[in-house]
Amino acid sequence: MLAEIGLIACLFAFVASLYAILASVYGERFAHSEAMVLSGRNAVYLTFVLMTIATGGLQIALMTEQYQLTYVWSVSSPSMPTFFRATALWGSQAGSLLFWSYLITVFAAAATFLNWKSQRRLMPYAIAYMMAVAAFFIGLSLFIENPFERWWVLPSGEVVASAFIPAGAVAPAARQLAESANGLNPLLRHFGMAIHPPMLYLGFIGFVIPFAFAMSALASGDLSSNWIKVSRRWTLVAWLFLSLGLLLGGRWAYDVLGWGGYWGWDPVENAAFLPWLIGTAYLHSVMIQEKRGMLKTWNMFLVIGTFSTVIFATFATRSGLVDSVHSFARSGIGFPMFLFWFLLTIVSVWLILWRRSRGELKDEHRVSGIFSRESLFVLNNFVFVALFVAVFWGSFGAPIVSELFMNTNITLGADYFLRVTPPLFILMYILMGIAPVSAWGISAVGRLGVSLLIPLALTVLSLGLFVLGGMTDAGALLGYGIVLLSGWVVVYETFRGVQARRKARNESPLRALAALATRSPRRYGGYMVHLGIAVIGLGVIGSTLFQQETQRTLAVGQSLQIGGYEMRYDGLLANQVAEDGRLMDIAQIVLLRDGAEVAHLRPRRDFFPESSGMNSMTIAGAHSTLENDFYVLLVNWETVSANSATFKVYINPLINLIWWGSFILIAGTLLAGYPRETLPARVREKLQLAREGART
Amino acid sequence: MAEMSWEKPTASTAPKSFGGERIKFVVGGLLLLGAVVYLMISGTIGGAQYFITVDQLVTSPEYAGQTVRISGAVDGDTIVYDGENLIIDFTIANIPLETTDLALTLHNAVNDPSATRLNVHIEGEVKPDLLQHEAQAILTGTLGADGTFNATELLLKCPSRYEESIPEQANAETGV
Repeated sequence: MLAEIGLIACLFAFVASLYAILASVYGERFAHSEAMVLSGRNAVYLTFVLMTIATGGLQIALMTEQYQLTYVWSVSSPSMPTFFRATALWGSQAGSLLFWSYLITVFAAAATFLNWKSQRRLMPYAIAYMMAVAAFFIGLSLFIENPFERWWVLPSGEVVASAFIPAGAVAPAARQLAESANGLNPLLRHFGMAIHPPMLYLGFIGFVIPFAFAMSALASGDLSSNWIKVSRRWTLVAWLFLSLGLLLGGRWAYDVLGWGGYWGWDPVENAAFLPWLIGTAYLHSVMIQEKRGMLKTWNMFLVIGTFSTVIFATFATRSGLVDSVHSFARSGIGFPMFLFWFLLTIVSVWLILWRRSRGELKDEHRVSGIFSRESLFVLNNFVFVALFVAVFWGSFGAPIVSELFMNTNITLGADYFLRVTPPLFILMYILMGIAPVSAWGISAVGRLGVSLLIPLALTVLSLGLFVLGGMTDAGALLGYGIVLLSGWVVVYETFRGVQARRKARNESPLRALAALATRSPRRYGGYMVHLGIAVIGLGVIGSTLFQQETQRTLAVGQSLQIGGYEMRYDGLLANQVAEDGRLMDIAQIVLLRDGAEVAHLRPRRDFFPESSGMNSMTIAGAHSTLENDFYVLLVNWETVSANSATFKVYINPLINLIWWGSFILIAGTLLAGYPRETLPARVREKLQLAREGART
Repeated sequence: MAEMSWEKPTASTAPKSFGGERIKFVVGGLLLLGAVVYLMISGTIGGAQYFITVDQLVTSPEYAGQTVRISGAVDGDTIVYDGENLIIDFTIANIPLETTDLALTLHNAVNDPSATRLNVHIEGEVKPDLLQHEAQAILTGTLGADGTFNATELLLKCPSRYEESIPEQANAETGV
């Protein structure tokens, strides 16, 4: 029953999304019929409702263990706890594609609801583009990766998977289905995995809204700053989710994959990083367009490039194009996705060039002064695009080019990325240090130097602390210094703002800070994001350059020393049974520092007796402090006597700054996107004009 | 292509009085561009790894001593793991680089006595959970003079029957 409901809802959603496109475009452009445009808008809501039913249907089927659905059968089993039953919705290709389409309709409905009044002129075309993307993905679910297929037993005794009942077929016996069900891939049974994919999907899909508004501006000819205003905020939403997705993915890898790291330059990780890079470039250069009316064509390329990258990354990840631990199984969606990506990119680029050739994307100012804020922003964009090109080439460009034109298969390993990206990241941090104190228009080098004096002094002081702490590596100190400067600049700028308000209005520091944040959330939110990135940078430098590792076999009661810690092995608890049926071998570790106990750690190995394929995982034990993480893996032990066990130990300096920095980053993004900004007078005027224009 | 689009408007709209500034921008931009291109080219040359089959590695002498990536099917019976010293040894069987049904390819390769086999040796690595019979191993390393592949990096994929197969038990019982 659920399968039929889901399938029918999915089919109707497909039809409704196509109708929304037709009604919006035809009603706006040709029929000039308000009623038709409105009915197109309502079709967006209908698509959302129908997809809620379809996705809800699959979710209920998972929760109520309808193993006749092949999808439910392949990702869950009777012994699985409820929580992972729920998250199995995105545990494999078909379900995650449906979920993905659903999220598109969520975003489309939200954008239509929130922006209908303020962006009436842009909406019909924006709807057309959002629904085109939705229709494509719903179509994939319907025709290629159908999550509502069920097992059927043919009269011949053969078992087949089909969305419809084959002639004369009967459903297999429920008990047998339940017994043979696969269960979710053990590696995915982790809290991080429960949130990481949805965050990443929200981040990816969120970029459909800025894309649709940009395309709508190009198609409708309303190239005022309207589309910039809407798309900036939606980009911020998507950017926040994408950042969260990347950070959670790193955390999950660190906790579950057991290699002591969080980022491996794997093609699929890079695929998620690429839209982040180009989206970040856009978030910066959009400010130049708002303030100075410059870089209009460039911004179009960035916003469309971001979404084009999202689709390409999805294609690369889901089609089996690249070899990676993350890849989904090879499936038939590769070619349609490639075609969709290609068409979308071609049409977008063509539209930009067409409007540009008509002189409608002309800049109102030109860049003047090498140290003006505009130039620094342009340089910022250069850095992000260069990073984008370098990472793209390393992950996809080189393998594809070598296969197509050189008849070999070349891949670039982590060495390539560790060589190419650090100089660009250094340049990025230098810019983060200078740009916030630069001025629009022409800015004098001297004045810039003066405003950097105090942050520089603070940087030197903090570097002194590093040296006192035993850091002597000159290169690392330089790296820390550049990153610290970028952090101190925004802290000092905020401090100056607070001081100015205190002097002028005699406010308490906290009150002044709160007033600043609400008065200019974009500026101070942006500063906070910079601070977060600086804190993350410290963590990355520390954990990359100064990781220590060792491995040792210890008898019960024996200890090992590393990085000022003493680790004592106290014995093994074998074959502990967990709630979901997994068997755990847990080592008991006591961690001491200067003779005093600081933590009890329980590194363990989980074994899933019922799973085929990947059926075990290594969970690290970790003791976290601001200074470092003590990270220990249980890698081998004597199963019978448990007298001795082998451990692999990592000391990861400053790694926690990565997670702490990410909290600052999230808070900053929320502040920057907080919907109560004061627009510059120029933009307000234009908005007003546009609204009047829409009414007449 | 991307860099051009912001260079162009500034260049074409700048009036003559800004000629000096313009040259600075153009020269600075070209220098930066050159630096990035240099980084990418040198990174590519230094980091390039040929992804080849076991057959190609064994038959072509030009790959000896060079860092390459290979892919093969793991024979589960051959896995020897020294957990105290973290040394892993196993044998892989040749598989083609491109395949449509990975699970079937791996299964056939392992059970084909005529498929080329290669001994793999890895030091300092914890035995990965995915290192199992009929898993696909993607290895980075060099072929030693003794014919053993010394790997520095190991990536594993298990095309578990999640997506492809049918409920065998149900099949068997209803077939009776």
